[in-house]
Amino acid sequence: MTVFKCYMKILKKNIGLISIYLIIFFSTAMILQASAKKEHLEDFEKTRINLAIADQDDSTLSHALTKYLKTIHNVYRISAEPTVMQEELFYRNAEYIVQIPKDFYKTCIVDENPLSVTKVPGSYSSFYVDQQINAWLNSIRTYTAAGFSQKEAAAAALEQSVSEVTMYHDEETAVETPGYTYYFRYIPFLFLAVLCYSMGYILLAFRKEDIQKRMLASAISTRRQNLEGLLAMFTISLLLWLIAVVGAGVMYGKELLTSKVLGYYLLNTFLMLTIALSLAYLIGLFMKNINMLNGISNIISLGICFLSGVFVPMNIMDKKVLMVAQFLPVYWYENVNETLSRYHVVSGKVAVDIWKSMGIEVMFTFALLALILAVSKYKRQG
Amino acid sequence: MIHIENLVKRYGDLVALNHLNLDIHEGEIFGLLGPNGSGKTTAINCLLSLLKYDKGTIEIFGQPMTPDNYQAKQQIGIVLQNVAVFDELTVYENIDYFCGLYVSDKKKRKKLVDDAIRFVGLEDYCKMYPKKLSGGLLRRLNIACGIAHKPRLIIMDEPTVAVDPQSRNKILEGIQKLNVQGSTIIYTSHYMEEIEQICTRIAIMDHGRVIASGTSEELKKMIKTGETITVEAIFLEEKHLQDIRSLPHVFDLHYENQILILRCTGAQHNLIRLLNYLQSQDITFGRVFSELPTLNDVFLEITGKQLRD
Repeated sequence: MTVFKCYMKILKKNIGLISIYLIIFFSTAMILQASAKKEHLEDFEKTRINLAIADQDDSTLSHALTKYLKTIHNVYRISAEPTVMQEELFYRNAEYIVQIPKDFYKTCIVDENPLSVTKVPGSYSSFYVDQQINAWLNSIRTYTAAGFSQKEAAAAALEQSVSEVTMYHDEETAVETPGYTYYFRYIPFLFLAVLCYSMGYILLAFRKEDIQKRMLASAISTRRQNLEGLLAMFTISLLLWLIAVVGAGVMYGKELLTSKVLGYYLLNTFLMLTIALSLAYLIGLFMKNINMLNGISNIISLGICFLSGVFVPMNIMDKKVLMVAQFLPVYWYENVNETLSRYHVVSGKVAVDIWKSMGIEVMFTFALLALILAVSKYKRQG
Repeated sequence: MIHIENLVKRYGDLVALNHLNLDIHEGEIFGLLGPNGSGKTTAINCLLSLLKYDKGTIEIFGQPMTPDNYQAKQQIGIVLQNVAVFDELTVYENIDYFCGLYVSDKKKRKKLVDDAIRFVGLEDYCKMYPKKLSGGLLRRLNIACGIAHKPRLIIMDEPTVAVDPQSRNKILEGIQKLNVQGSTIIYTSHYMEEIEQICTRIAIMDHGRVIASGTSEELKKMIKTGETITVEAIFLEEKHLQDIRSLPHVFDLHYENQILILRCTGAQHNLIRLLNYLQSQDITFGRVFSELPTLNDVFLEITGKQLRD
């Protein structure tokens, strides 16, 4: 396994750069995971704040207001002593204090005096509480003006306030996007960048004319040399795939491991790996020096990833760009990835779509392999 | 050991090897001498099956040489014109790798690599990378990579190109040492002095074929020139030139820029006769040289052009 070992030794020279790519990848994944956790589907849900009520009226209406506010916030009662209220605010036990005055109905409903409130300075939530209280007071005024008794008005206002908004859930938004979707979305960049550079570097070393002559004149057959070379490349790629997969397992743990679509994710990344490896080998055949390799591997990996929805989600990409991207293998990887992110379980038409995209990925690999054979033959004859 | 018969290699219209015939015997240091483009490297590449040829046969160790004759390849070491080593591996790793292409046994290989390192004197540079080595040291590494597996036949294609005189001498001494240790060596070069110094038998190539072969002495005997006399800073008239031309054993005369070059056959007293004539005519002159024939003279007489043209 002389040739195999030599590939590995040359790869070792690049371990620093490969580590940098891995660090960048895992850091990006972690940042994305952190930001993804903050995203909730029901992001319109009202924020519950700690709200204290100093009820000096103790009437039907004051109870109704308390009940209404309880439906929205964490409400508790305190005495109307100024020192108590100051303490509640100072220690941030409450963010907002409502003082319901004696003769609440006359003061605030009939005479339309504002309700006395105390709030934490600069709290944006308080603004919403102001609006909620004003809306309730207006409702009571409307109902009483319409002839409702205080009790009836209180009941009607409460009923109106708790009426729910029905949210339309379509199939695509049925599942909250799992954090590992972002991780898998970025994997093509890791594979392409690392493999294009490291494979190109190794091939550059082996493709020096005089080294090739020495190897051709040696006692090891060309076939065996090629096989050992391919085995080394495949081993390197497999190691990269394992690092990526184990990394996903460590970062997302049970969430990923219990996913019913995990197998699809693994297969899809493996297919992406074969594409990246073939592309890296093809590019390596054209490289003349290390500077050229640096430039081309960056252009290819970044270019393909930008066009294929690795850095920008497909749903916000221009349709014309997506049309072009269909001619790139990463597009089909991302297509599978996007589909998997929307479903807990894959079946029926969705499964067909996924297998179709994966089939196209396999075809890309075969096309690249055919190109490699053609270019290698041309170069040998040249 | 090597038998090449009627070897023809064409690159389009260009005939690189034109019915080349060669026989190389075990234990020789066989020199292939010829100007650039004479077909030396092409012949070596065909011999190693690195190039397909159009016609002819090549036999090494009594077997036809083919790209998959690994039994024969096992016994051949090559040292190429350009340094063929990995910049990414250390001196030791490079020698170990190229030796590993012939010897799979790790223990045996370690001993061979250590021997090769000692042989070329790179003991202090084992952990260094090729880029840190001087030109001479790189050449030595190149040789170590080709000979580490102790081959029966070593093919060296211009291994001293662009090497300083000190390193060149060390390399030439090493080649003779390898021969003493039992290796047959094919040495190609366009430096005739090197070939003359180390080779036991020489073939002179031009236009893809051998134009003369034999030992250095045999080759020199093939030609008319026995002595070349050069006289510098001399002013001669046509009459004097005619007189000198008629001196015994002189068969060629060349006079230009006050430098006289005289070619004589291998007889004695040519120089004395010339000096006596110049004295009798009261002709003053600068430095005088008398040289025995070189391989360049052989090449010149056979082809009508200088080896270094």
